[in-house]
Parts: sequence; structure tokens; C-alpha cells
Amino acid sequence: MAGRAVSIELLWDVAIPKTLEEAQGWVLCAMQQHGRELVNMLWRILGNEQDVCDAYQDTFLRLAHHEYGSKPENVKAYVFRSASNIAISILRYKLQQNNLTSKITVKSNASSPATELDSRYMTQTLRAGITQLPDHLRDVVTLHDLGDLPYEQVARILGISTATARVYRCKAVQLLAARMRKENTQ
Amino acid sequence: MKNYCRQIKGLINRFLADSFTLDRHWVRNHVANCPRCQRRIMLLGKVELAMSLLKSQPHRLDLLMRANTQAIGVLKHALRTTPKAEMLRNIRPEPGIIEKLSKYKRSLINAAACIAIAVLMKTSVFSSGQTFERQANKAMEHYYASNAGEDIARDIFTPQA
Repeated sequence: MAGRAVSIELLWDVAIPKTLEEAQGWVLCAMQQHGRELVNMLWRILGNEQDVCDAYQDTFLRLAHHEYGSKPENVKAYVFRSASNIAISILRYKLQQNNLTSKITVKSNASSPATELDSRYMTQTLRAGITQLPDHLRDVVTLHDLGDLPYEQVARILGISTATARVYRCKAVQLLAARMRKENTQ
Repeated sequence: MKNYCRQIKGLINRFLADSFTLDRHWVRNHVANCPRCQRRIMLLGKVELAMSLLKSQPHRLDLLMRANTQAIGVLKHALRTTPKAEMLRNIRPEPGIIEKLSKYKRSLINAAACIAIAVLMKTSVFSSGQTFERQANKAMEHYYASNAGEDIARDIFTPQA
């Protein structure tokens, strides 16, 4: 009897990993297919390698646990939207943390034309601006400009038309320009 | 100076949506003399510049490998031990087909241009040859008709079944 129980236990040990591997192998496939683009997008949003790794990990953890391990209908859309949202949350948190110090350092030099064209200052202001955009505009900017996805794919991922995606991008850039002007005049 | 501000504002919107270029004579002429449009374009240019700066910042080559290793580390044990997971842990970013072919871009363009020219030459040479033949036949037929008579010309130049 005991021998039989042991053999059943062994069977379980062998069977469970096999089924899991079969059931969630698509997570690794998604990693292989979209990993490079995702890392690029996250790097552009966050600009910090450890944050990129954390956001990437969270994205695939979410994917693996999506509705008790079931595969989403559109894996690419799920992965890109999750990654973008996670990265923006991390960025917002970091900006809040550094709010006081960054304001002091940035504002003290913001008036000079040399600082206005300083790449670090510009990217910092742009990142801050992107976090403050309305969700629908921000999604288009992150996917199209930072994720390098064409408008057609962005539209498919967000469930909007290509023309709407173009309009959203246009509005987003105008808002970002207004914000950058405000930063410079302050 | 004609007031093109409203039109240019619309064009800027189309430009931002990647469907239009601002490099037109009348646009340039207007913007050169309109401080409002200059400011508008400068601000948008700044955003585009900042975007380009974000895109051009490089990361370390092993970032994808590290990200994959960290992400695989939190997946289920069965997934962590698969050969694919092992492969992803050691993956290096490889350039895509377009990037690989980019160094051959100039030669490819040249080759395509040569092929296009050859095709155009061939088709134009053949078509002009056919036209020449047709015209010559007509002239000969006319000559025979006027000198030897219509019947003989018809007999000679009418294609036989």
C-alpha cells in the first residue's frame, strides 16, 4: 500500500511539472518574442536598468498569473500595456520621492539657455510630462514613440482606430510642449 | 503678409501625426516672419528633440539577459528549468533583419535603380522598335500603292491567314 502511495506521489511529481510546462510555455514564448522591444520601451520610460528589470519582472509575473494562469486573447497587447502601466507607476513613485530635491536642482538652473538644451534636463522634463498626461494620450505616446510600434499596432492594442491614435499623439505632444514651456518659464 | 497662422496650426497637427511635412515654400516664408508660429514650432521641436534624446540613450548590452533572468526567477519551477528558459537567460540582443541589412542599404538601392533603368530601357527600346516597324510598313505600303497600284500593295502588305 505504502509502495503504491509512493509511486502515485512520484507520478504527481512528474505529471505536474509537465502539465505546467505545457500550460504556461507561452509565457516564455512571449518573453522570447517581445522581450527585446519591451526592454527598449521600459528603458526609454524609466532610464534606469534596475527599474527596467523590476518592471519587466512584474509584467511577466502578471502575465503568468492572468486569470489563474490562462493565456490572454492578445498577449502582445497585454504585455505592452502592463509594462507601460507598471513603468509609469514606478516613474511616478520615483518622481514623488525626488520631487523636492529635483525641483530645487532643476529650477535653480532652468532659466539659462544652456540648461534648456541640456539633454538630461530635457529628458527629465519629458518623462515627468509623460507621467502627467491623461491615460489615453499617455498610452499612445509610450507605445508609439517609446515602444516604436506603428500606429496600426498601437490602435489594435488600445482598441481604437488608427486615426484616433494619430489624433491622441498629436494632442499629447501639444500638451507636452505646453508643459515644457511652463517648466522653462517657472 | 497674408495670415497663414490658422492653416499652419492645422498643418502642424498633421505634421505631429506623421502625415505631413512642413518643408513647403509658403510655410517656410510665413514661419520666417511670424513670431507666433516660430514659438509654436520651436516648442514642438523641443518635444521631438527630447523624444529623440530618450530614444538615443543606449543601455548595456546585457540588459535583456538580466531582465530575462530576473523575470524567469519568479516564474514557476517547471518553467524555470526548461531549455527555453535557459536560452532566454543567456540571450543577447541581436539586430533585426532590417538593421542587419541597413549596411547594404546603399548597394541595394543602387542595384534596384540599375534594374529599374534596365527594365525601363528594355521596354522603351522594344516599344519604340515596334513603333518604328509599324511606321516603316505603312510608308512602304503607301509607296507601293501610289507607284504600283492599290491591288498590288494590298496583296503584299495584307497579312495572310
